[in-house]
Amino acid sequence: MQPEAYVAHHFPNLQQQEHAARLGMWLFLATELLLFGGLFTAYSVYRFLYPATFALGSEHLSVAAGTVNTIVLITSSLTVALAFFYAHHGRGKAAALSLLVTLGFALVFLGIKAWEWTHDFHEGLLPGRYFSSKELQAVGAPMFFTLYFLLTGLHGLHVVVGMCVLTYVMIQAWRGVYDTGYTTTVELGGMYWHLVDLIWIFLYPLLYLI
Amino acid sequence: MAHSTADSSTEHEQVGRAGASRYWIVWILLLVLTVATFLLSRVHLPSPFHLLVALAIACGKSALVVLFFMHLWDHGGANRIVFLTSIFFVALLVGLVVLDNATRFDLLNPGRGATLQTEPPGPDILTPRYPPEPGSRLDMPSAVEPGRDVPIPPLPK
Repeated sequence: MQPEAYVAHHFPNLQQQEHAARLGMWLFLATELLLFGGLFTAYSVYRFLYPATFALGSEHLSVAAGTVNTIVLITSSLTVALAFFYAHHGRGKAAALSLLVTLGFALVFLGIKAWEWTHDFHEGLLPGRYFSSKELQAVGAPMFFTLYFLLTGLHGLHVVVGMCVLTYVMIQAWRGVYDTGYTTTVELGGMYWHLVDLIWIFLYPLLYLI
Repeated sequence: MAHSTADSSTEHEQVGRAGASRYWIVWILLLVLTVATFLLSRVHLPSPFHLLVALAIACGKSALVVLFFMHLWDHGGANRIVFLTSIFFVALLVGLVVLDNATRFDLLNPGRGATLQTEPPGPDILTPRYPPEPGSRLDMPSAVEPGRDVPIPPLPK
């Protein structure tokens, strides 16, 4: 199947179709940024109101786990970018293996996140009125953990969605669907994963390194 | 039409032409910046710079991801406008909402309201005020006492 066979009837040629797909993806990512923007606004307001409490609350998070997760996500972004590179050069099997490595990194990320959350649950570091920590007694601490769970939870949800997208792309790449040169699916799926990385790049200093 | 087709064609070629070495270099830069932001957070810079340095490094890292991993460097003008507009509106939202809290009379901010409630307006401003008795709050029936110069409206029932 030649790349031209993928052109939908309402596009004059493949280049136009790819251009439109890319622009649509950027528009979707813009709405994602605005979705996280609401939570970042809430974070900014409450950090402005309780700066000392946020610093205290951040000390109850594991900086080591946050740093390792940052490196894991950055490396998974690299393997996604490499997968696009391989797919674009007609090496579908290499692209699929690269995406498999990415999924492995994503599982490591979620595993570390699950360990962190379990630790927080045992310490009573819970959102809102469920907050019951004995060590951390400060006005605003429940709000810090509300925002922590909302931000990391929404981000974790995006990791899971991204894993589903990349699994689909990986299976298609292994079957050689992208070897003909039509790699827009790999590129756009990869962009979603890079957005997940982008959000985490901001969450890491804002939550763990106050 | 023909012009825009030619543009997208070069865009397509540029996105594909990027060598794998570019991705590895960006990855190494991202790791270096991650270590830098971690180390700088341990130094404990004075208050505003602490946050500003962390945010500046995060912006640099995300610029690398957006430009090279997401290929915005090679993408056309429309994609750049969409991305920059979304960044602009997020900045506007965060900036103006924080500015609202920053320019309020501070006791009206959440978390400070308790201070207002412990100091109800007294009969005059010259006598020193102490923390009020539990019964003398304005919303208590016993607050209606003789000698007050301000008539208290009846509570809505």
